[in-house]
Amino acid sequence: MLARLHRAFERALEWIVIALLLLLALEVILGVVYRYLGNPIVWYDEIASVLLAWVTYYGAALAALKRAHIGVPGFVTTLSARPRLAAVLLGEACILTFFALLAWFGVRVLQMLAGDTLATVDLPVLVTQSVIPIGALLFIAAELLNLPETIHSCRGHRRTAAGVDL
Amino acid sequence: MSALVLFIAVLALVIINVPIAIALGVVAVVAMVASHGNEALLNLPLVMYTGATSFPLIAIPLFILAGAIMNASGISHRLVALASALLGFIRGALALASIGASLFFAEISGSAVADVAAIGSILIPAMKRKGYSKEFAAAVVSSSATLAVIIPPSIPMVLYAAMADTSVVKLFVAGIVPGIIGGLLLMAVAYWFAVKNNFPVEQAFKLARVWVTFKEAAWALLLPLIILGGIFGGVVTATEGAALAVVAALFIGVVIYRELDWPHLKQAMIEGGIQTAVVMLLVAASALLGTYLTEIQAPQKLAAAVAHLTDNRYLVLALLNLLFLVLGLFLHSAAAIILVVPVVMPLIQAVGIDPVHFGLIVTVNLGIGQQTPPVASVLMTACSIAKSDIWETTKVNIYFIGVLLLVLILVTYVPAIPMSLVHVFYG
Repeated sequence: MLARLHRAFERALEWIVIALLLLLALEVILGVVYRYLGNPIVWYDEIASVLLAWVTYYGAALAALKRAHIGVPGFVTTLSARPRLAAVLLGEACILTFFALLAWFGVRVLQMLAGDTLATVDLPVLVTQSVIPIGALLFIAAELLNLPETIHSCRGHRRTAAGVDL
Repeated sequence: MSALVLFIAVLALVIINVPIAIALGVVAVVAMVASHGNEALLNLPLVMYTGATSFPLIAIPLFILAGAIMNASGISHRLVALASALLGFIRGALALASIGASLFFAEISGSAVADVAAIGSILIPAMKRKGYSKEFAAAVVSSSATLAVIIPPSIPMVLYAAMADTSVVKLFVAGIVPGIIGGLLLMAVAYWFAVKNNFPVEQAFKLARVWVTFKEAAWALLLPLIILGGIFGGVVTATEGAALAVVAALFIGVVIYRELDWPHLKQAMIEGGIQTAVVMLLVAASALLGTYLTEIQAPQKLAAAVAHLTDNRYLVLALLNLLFLVLGLFLHSAAAIILVVPVVMPLIQAVGIDPVHFGLIVTVNLGIGQQTPPVASVLMTACSIAKSDIWETTKVNIYFIGVLLLVLILVTYVPAIPMSLVHVFYG
């Protein structure tokens, strides 16, 4: 059941990230083409930046699900089971608290920004900034879906990866 | 709260396996609440949002996407074929071809991890079949992949330029000569190994074969060069050049080679999205802590403290090189750039080092960091393809790392090597 939920969540995030990435590429390409045709799109920079932020937060939840965030797992893997579990759970608590605060204050900021639009195009800031609370909640969901496996891995001395690199 | 306390707090969280981006965020939140009260947290979502909207960094996903599309369109084996046709008559031909193919692939890819995966998956099995040891095969492909980040385009350079607020185009130009020198020196060491171990020669040199393989690879080689030319000539910005590279890659894959491998491409796009997100979350979180550090003037105080000890720029560069080499043992390159560069920039300016020159030093240094375990992303990819042990491979790779260290010393202490072309192009 949990494994199926995990997989479904992962597939959904994967398609969202692919779509956002392609949209970003298309938008920048159109921006360049229109500029060279002497008819620049005024909202090109601003929308491209918004799309980058969306790739960041939907992608960050996917990265959390795949344990791809950059870290230094060397130390906890040297601990024996009990202290390792304590350290890992403390770390998880910090992660969850951070994203809970980000979601909570993200919603409060959305309430304050209600009615504002972007500078170059009539798009509500409510839409563009929604990625912060939504992304934070998706991140929390990813951490919780991984939690059983995280706890289970503390029993062995399996090394975890240090995340992705460029 | 002093910068030292913040640093220790981040370190403590990282040690219990909190991802670095989130460790920065957690410490920044505590610092914000401690100094300005709960309501300061209204800034949290705002900074985390604007921190992720940096326009120049859009080049990162676009260069990743372009590389992924080109790789899914069968470009790597064409580049390997061309390099083999050129170098096949020399002893240890496959090892030299691996370095040669990396020199070509570097104009397409800005990522050493992408390079090692693309070239390694073809040449490591080939080398093993020809009797090269798996450790040597992994080492040569791993170390030559470093050329991808030194020769433009380069994703670490895009990141550095944004963090240091300097010209990415000049950085790209500065990478050309050191990249070529690095490639030739790596070939020299590979040849020395080949003679010592009596590795085989592949084939006699035939101009006809070079011509055939060149025609096959020509599109893959020429389009990136045109795009880089456009960036250097100021016709397009680096971000726009990256977008054009995506179009060029699609053109080559769909129209010219007609062999776009969709499952492979989909997987590469997912990985590219994740890489982008991981780096951008770090950028956003470091912006959060950065606002606080700027408030307490930590970078300026560090610059003043070091400048008080010495204003000898060569000594400062030696110390910074040492710092980055140590960080490279434990940290991925993107994290090291995002964490350290904004903090040391005032120091760089105080002792009169050109930020473009420093950018190249950081790029080469962290390229070495991708080779040095325990945390060595590129080496680990090569080892997993070769099914070799990381530490056994390092015993061979140490010679190639020595070459890269030599390049680092040259780049650091002979500024003319990276900077001459920059001065020729941009005065």
